[in-house]
Formats: sequence, C-alpha cells, structure tokens
Amino acid sequence: MKNKASVVIVGGGITGTSTAFSLAKRGVKDIVLIEREGLASGATGRCGAGIRQQWGTFQNCLLARESMKVFENFQEVLGTDIDIELKQKGYLLLAYSEKEMDQFRRNVEVQHQLDIPSRLVSCREAKEIVPFLNTEKMLGGAFCPTDGHANPFLATKAYAKAAERLGVEILMKTEVKAITVVNDRIKGVHTSQGFIETDKVVNAAGGWSAQIGEMAGLHLPVYSERHEILVTEPVNPIMDPMVMSFSYNIYCQQTPHGSFIMGYGPQNEPRGYNVNATWQFLETMARKAAWLLPPLKNMRIVRQWAGLYNMSPDRQPIVCESEIVKGFFMGIGFSGHGFMIAPAVGTLLADLITGSPLTWDVVLDLGRYDRHETIAEPSVV
Amino acid sequence: MITCDLLVIGGGPAGISAAVAAGKAGLKVLLLEERERLGGQLTKQTHRFFGSVAERAGTRGIAIIKDLETVVAQLENVEISLSTTALGIYEDGVSTALKSGKMIKIKPKAIVVATGAFEKFLPFENNDLPGVYGAGAVQTLMNIYGVLPARRILMIGSGNIGLIVSYQLVQAGAEVVGVIEASPKIGGYLVHASKIRRLGIPIYPSCTIKKAFGQDRVVGAELVRLDEKWKEIPGSQFTVDCDAICLAVGLNPLIDLLGQSGCQFKYIPELGGQVPIRDESMRTNVPHLYIAGDLSSIEEATAALLEGELAGLSAAKQIRPGQSLEARMEEVKTHLRALRSGPVGEKIRSGLSKLTGEALPTPSPRTNAIDELSRTGIASPANLAGVLPDEKRKKTRAYAVIECYQQIPCDPCVHNCPFGAIKPFSDINDLPIVDFDLCTGCGQCIGRCPGLAIFTVDETRDGDRAKITLPYEFLPKPVREETVDLLDRSGKCVGQGVVKSVLNTPKQDKTTIVTVEIHRNLVQDVRQIRVVQKS
Repeated sequence: MKNKASVVIVGGGITGTSTAFSLAKRGVKDIVLIEREGLASGATGRCGAGIRQQWGTFQNCLLARESMKVFENFQEVLGTDIDIELKQKGYLLLAYSEKEMDQFRRNVEVQHQLDIPSRLVSCREAKEIVPFLNTEKMLGGAFCPTDGHANPFLATKAYAKAAERLGVEILMKTEVKAITVVNDRIKGVHTSQGFIETDKVVNAAGGWSAQIGEMAGLHLPVYSERHEILVTEPVNPIMDPMVMSFSYNIYCQQTPHGSFIMGYGPQNEPRGYNVNATWQFLETMARKAAWLLPPLKNMRIVRQWAGLYNMSPDRQPIVCESEIVKGFFMGIGFSGHGFMIAPAVGTLLADLITGSPLTWDVVLDLGRYDRHETIAEPSVV
Repeated sequence: MITCDLLVIGGGPAGISAAVAAGKAGLKVLLLEERERLGGQLTKQTHRFFGSVAERAGTRGIAIIKDLETVVAQLENVEISLSTTALGIYEDGVSTALKSGKMIKIKPKAIVVATGAFEKFLPFENNDLPGVYGAGAVQTLMNIYGVLPARRILMIGSGNIGLIVSYQLVQAGAEVVGVIEASPKIGGYLVHASKIRRLGIPIYPSCTIKKAFGQDRVVGAELVRLDEKWKEIPGSQFTVDCDAICLAVGLNPLIDLLGQSGCQFKYIPELGGQVPIRDESMRTNVPHLYIAGDLSSIEEATAALLEGELAGLSAAKQIRPGQSLEARMEEVKTHLRALRSGPVGEKIRSGLSKLTGEALPTPSPRTNAIDELSRTGIASPANLAGVLPDEKRKKTRAYAVIECYQQIPCDPCVHNCPFGAIKPFSDINDLPIVDFDLCTGCGQCIGRCPGLAIFTVDETRDGDRAKITLPYEFLPKPVREETVDLLDRSGKCVGQGVVKSVLNTPKQDKTTIVTVEIHRNLVQDVRQIRVVQKS
C-alpha cells in the first residue's frame, strides 16, 4: 500500500471508480481508491440499474445525456472488453393527472434542446410500447427510446479495471478511520491498513458520505434513507422499456437477463443506515406491479434487498470542493440517481481536482443551498 | 398473520426434535417443512445409525423417522405444515413462507432454524457433464424415488457419505468402480470402509480426480495420485471407465435464511464453513432465534436430534419460564459432549472450541493401532489377533469376532448381548471387548451392529469344516443348502461354502443373518458371501 497519494478516493462504487478513471486518464499519478467492502457493494450494486435522460432541468438532462454517450461507447472510452449489458429500449413515464402531463410536456421541450429524442405518448401509444400495460386512470405519458439499462456491477468493475491499468491503486476491505485536517487543509487519511499522506480526498462514500464529511469536520447536508427493491425469476423478453410513474410511485424494468427489477419510493422511512429488507415491501410491490403490469402477477420473486439513497436537500447531487476544508472534494447526495450520471460526475470531479474549468456549465456546489439556488428537478421517484 | 409460540423451520431430525421438545413443554408450535413429508435426510438413510442406544442407535434412519413422525403427530399443540418453504425472517419478528403459491406470514415468539446443509462441489475439468452427481442426490434418486442413476459409478470422497452411498449403490445393483480420497487416510468410519472393501470396491487414498471424460455424458475419469503434501505426482495419472461420478466431498451449512435475520457467522472449516455463532444452548445473537442440526455444524443425525431437543427446550425455557427444563437440558448437553468426546469427534471438538472458546475435554490417548486399516479399510492380522479368543477357547464353543477397531461413538452391541458378554462401556467411544467366558456365539449381536462388523465363528467340530455366521443385506437372499462364493476382506473370492441357516425374521429388519459351512482354514478370512447368479 502506498503511504503517500496525490488523491485518495473514498468509495468503490460507480462514482468513486469513474472519478478514479477520469483522473488517471488525465495523467494524475498516485491515486488510491479505498473501499470498505468490495466494488459496488453499496448503493451502486443495489440500484435499479436504469439510465434515463428524461429529466426536467436542463442541467440534469445534460449530465444524463453526456453520461449516456459514455455508456453507449463504453468499451471504446474505457479501453475495456467488458460488456456492460447496455439495453436501450427506452423509459416509459406514465402520467395520471393533467398537471403531470403538463410537466412532461415542459420536460420534453427542455430535453429537445439537448437533442434527447423523447416524445409525449397517448395511452394507445403507450400500449403499443408495452401491450399489457394497464392504462386505467392513465392520461398519457412520455417516452424516450434511447433510455435504458446497464449492469452496475460490470460498469463499476470496468471503471475499476481501467483505472488500475492507468496506475490507480484500489484497496478493498479497507476502511477510512479518520481524516487529518490541518489549517483547513487535508493532510492525510487514516485507514484500517495504515496512514496515507495526501492533500486531496474525494468523498464518494454514497450512503456513508455524511460520516466521511464528519471525519473532515464538515456537517454535510445529506442523510441516508432505505429504499427497497426486488428481482423476479428470468423469463423471455416481454417488456422493452423501464416503466415508471412518479405519482403511482413505481419503477419496473426487465433486464437483458430476463428478470424484472422493481421498486417504489418508501413513505415515512426514517433516516438511517438500515438496509434490511421488509415483507411489507414485498406485499405492496407485488400489488402495485400486478395492477399496472398484470402478467407480472404470475412471476416468482427470487430475491429482495435494500440499499441507501443518499439524500440531499434538493434531491440533487452535490459535486464540488469544500469551501471550508481545502482539498476535500465530494460527489454525494445523488438521491437515488447516482449510477446513471456517474460518467459525467467523474469528469466533473476530475475537472475540479485538476483545477480545470468545468467541462459543462452546471451548478452542483454546496454553496447553492446558502445562495438559495437549489435545483428544482420535478421528475424524481 | 399466523401466531404461535415457536416456529420451527425444517422438518429433518433436528427440527422435529425441537418441535417435540417444545411441544411437550406446552408450547404452541408450527413446524415448516419444504418437502411433502417430514424427515429430511433421514428419509433416505436406509442404513443403521451409530451412536447411543438411548438415541436409537442400531435403528435405520427410515425407521427413526417413522418413530419421530408418530411422536410429533400425537402432540396436539404441534402443527405441521408440509410443502411449505420458509422465505424470510424479518427484523420485526415476522417470518414468511410460501405455501400453495402464496406468501404466508407468521409471528412467533421464538424460532428454531434447522435448515440443514447442502453438498459441496469440486472443481475439475468437465465437471458440468451430465453424470456428475452429488452423493446426496444419488441417494435421493435411489432411496426415495427408486431411480438408479447409473451402472458404473466412481465415488469421490471417502467420508461416511461416500462410503455409505457406495454400499447402497451396490445394494441397488450398481457397480462402484472405486472410492477415491485426497487425504492419505479414509475419512469415514472404518467399519463402513471395511463393508465396501469386502464387496470388492477399491479405495484409493492420496488420489484425486483430474477430469471427466465424455462428450454429452460421463464415460470415464482421469485420476492422479497425490504426495504427502497433496501435490500431484507427475506421471501417476490413471483412468477409470464409469458412467457417473459421484461427489461426496462434504457439506456446507445452509445459512441463507439466517443471514437475512441478522445472525452473526464465523468461518470454521471443522464445522463445515460459515457457521452461525451460538451458545451451548443453541441460541444465536438474534434474540429468540435458535439453531440446530447440520446448520450449526456438520455432524451425524444423532447430534442433530440432540441439538434439536436442546434448541426446543431453550426456546421453551425462554418463552415459558418457570418450567423445570434445566435438568433435561443438562442431560442433553452431556450426551452431546459424550458423542463428540472420542477420536472421531476431534474435528468437531476443535471447531466448537473455536466457536465458543470453550475447551472440551479430550480423552486420554489410547493405543489404537489402525494405521494400515485406515489407509485400506482392511483389518491387519495384528488387528484381528487382538479380538480373537485363545486356541483352547476356540475349540470349546462358538464365539463372536467383533471387527470394530476404531473408537467411534456407538454402543448397540453392548446392549444387545443377552449374556452380558460385551463389557459395559465407560465411554460411548470405547472399543467393544468380548468376555469369551460369557460369549456363547449366539449371534444376537450380529444384526444390531450398525457397522456390520460382528461375525460368529464355530470351529468346535473335528475335521476340516467350520461355520461362520455373518450379516447379509443384498438381494437375492441365499437359501439353505445353497452353495455361495466366499469373499475375503478385499472382496476376493477364496472358495465356496454351503449355507446352513438363513435368519430373516422381521426382527432382523432386512439384515439377514447367514450361517455358512466353510473350510476351517478360512474362518478368519471370509467376511462376505456372494450368491452365485444362476444362468
């Protein structure tokens, strides 16, 4: 293990590994990535594996589109032969009120500014896309054919391998115990394997990012919340897109493997780190899915699990350097959509760390909360 | 939501035993079993069990389960739910199960998990060919479904499962081409090894499988010898023809359900791998959650029965305090310690001391000259000399030869001698010692020995004729005055003899006792007969 590093990245999920790769690709040497468990063992490996570009703000659409470009050219960009099982069969968003329909209308306009090929769909068109969709009470929806799915484990592994090829040292089963800050500057990281001297730390710890912040003396405005998910047995392909509704509160997709992955946003979930699964989720999820997508009522569930959403005040990522502790960078608070924008976030963090101008004109800093410039993204589950 | 005092997950010996103990203590018990009948592994154990007579040693597994089913059926406060698969143990104390395609919810006050174990696999070339089986799977096919999966079988692993399944394969009419064992010594009980050796099955210690041959099914295997450091010896490869490869390379506890419950585990290879951390009363770190059987450590069914009882009593004590259950709990713990106290329990003892930090008493080392026997499964002349009477005694009366040379926890012989001629044990791991002044050679002990290791010899008559009486568990049964082949300890035919008596009453429970008249020079060589197939 190195005892000195130019950058120490905390977290071996998609954000940490993508940042490691982006930095290394720009020629930064002596990068160490520290992971407490294994690659993608936190939120990345527990997520719904969807990637969508149908957002309501220009900046989110931009990050999603740029990330999709990377997913589309993954092997080339990373120089890897790992296939991340990209499936671009779209996201079908369902509207159950005029208000929701209006929102989709506005969203599509924003998306079209970035050439995202989304469109509004009627119930009939929605049924053409998913023939067994129950359109009862539905007014219509939105569809983007290039949205889809990628395998979070393979994507993380590919980033990690590519980063290692470029000289990044990845330490698994290694825990950050403390962060040394002297005169408001990062001086080093104490790990379960020893001390690493560094002046730059990247907090990519997902569900545990608030704790990493505390180690540097910072109260980061993020907290963690359990979200549950399940997967069914694999069956023949019957459903192309991710089906999602913000008001009915559900997302459900069939993976290339044939299994269905689905979840919904919990109500009144206490803040914390509990990732135990519940039987209540199974019952509610099954009821919701069977109503909306009737053939699913005959499928068997093979596994359920839970992961942590790392929530920020405006449900949007925080990607910046701390203004209080110099050298403390963060890519946190993804609020449930970290995987799909991780390629762009890695680029932005590499910009920040190398002192380069941001590749895209986005505002994701912590200071936005003090400036009351929060991001009003209307389309989140 | 179903409510009960105790939920027992798993209807094998441990689970039933837990349900019975808790039921007798007055608890309302719900017992879940995934299959359509109770019994777990016992439903296919056609052999007689070792252990203490107090725990039904000497009885076949399939008979034990019938007894247990009767006992549990009589307890009105124990409900049995068959064809019910436990799905989850959740943090709010609710368990879920799948029954008739629906998820049911159960809120018990305590849970005993007794999910058992699953078979380990082995990496070698072509191990995905059809014809590569787990030994347990072969046993299930044969003994439950009446399907013989192959004709010529190679057995990998000489633990008790490998040895017992080999024997049962021959009983079912198959040929076992050999049993290979990576270790230099046979892993299972040597009486089991001797049983298959005298059927002519070779055992290859220090040997492993390199690859299976075949295109769309197994047609053979390449084996290789190992040196004392378990490294392959170059050039020592040899091949065997077979149509199935049977893996009997150990079991892993089935811990998945417990993993979800928040139970803590420790990796202890001696106990079977990742095992739940638990105390001596079978309680885990999760409140109200107990375990028993192979899930807690890979052992024999006797241990599972005892652990199940202990877990059931512990749960009863916690839910309904004030009952005097401690005395029986201590008794069960004492039985378990005795069961694990001998040389063959050493592995379990060392595993348990890693688990609990508690050092179990080690018995004083006794002379046990079985080195050659444990490599070959064949008793040496020196072994034999130690169990025979003197020449004068041989002439006066028939006598028993107990070819039990390894200290294993087993005592039915002592309890089945009507003359008290087998000296009482001070420890269940004691070796049987025959008092030839008391032994009449009556042969009552023959059929009660789970290891089929007892024979009686009658060489009292003048002339060259003598008689040997031995156990026989194959079909067809021999008939009186029939001429049969005589096999020695390695299965070699050493002559022929004439059957003088066939005892096959219900009491024998399918272990036929056969007396054969043979040449007197052969009385210490012949240990098996073979019925000559009429053409």
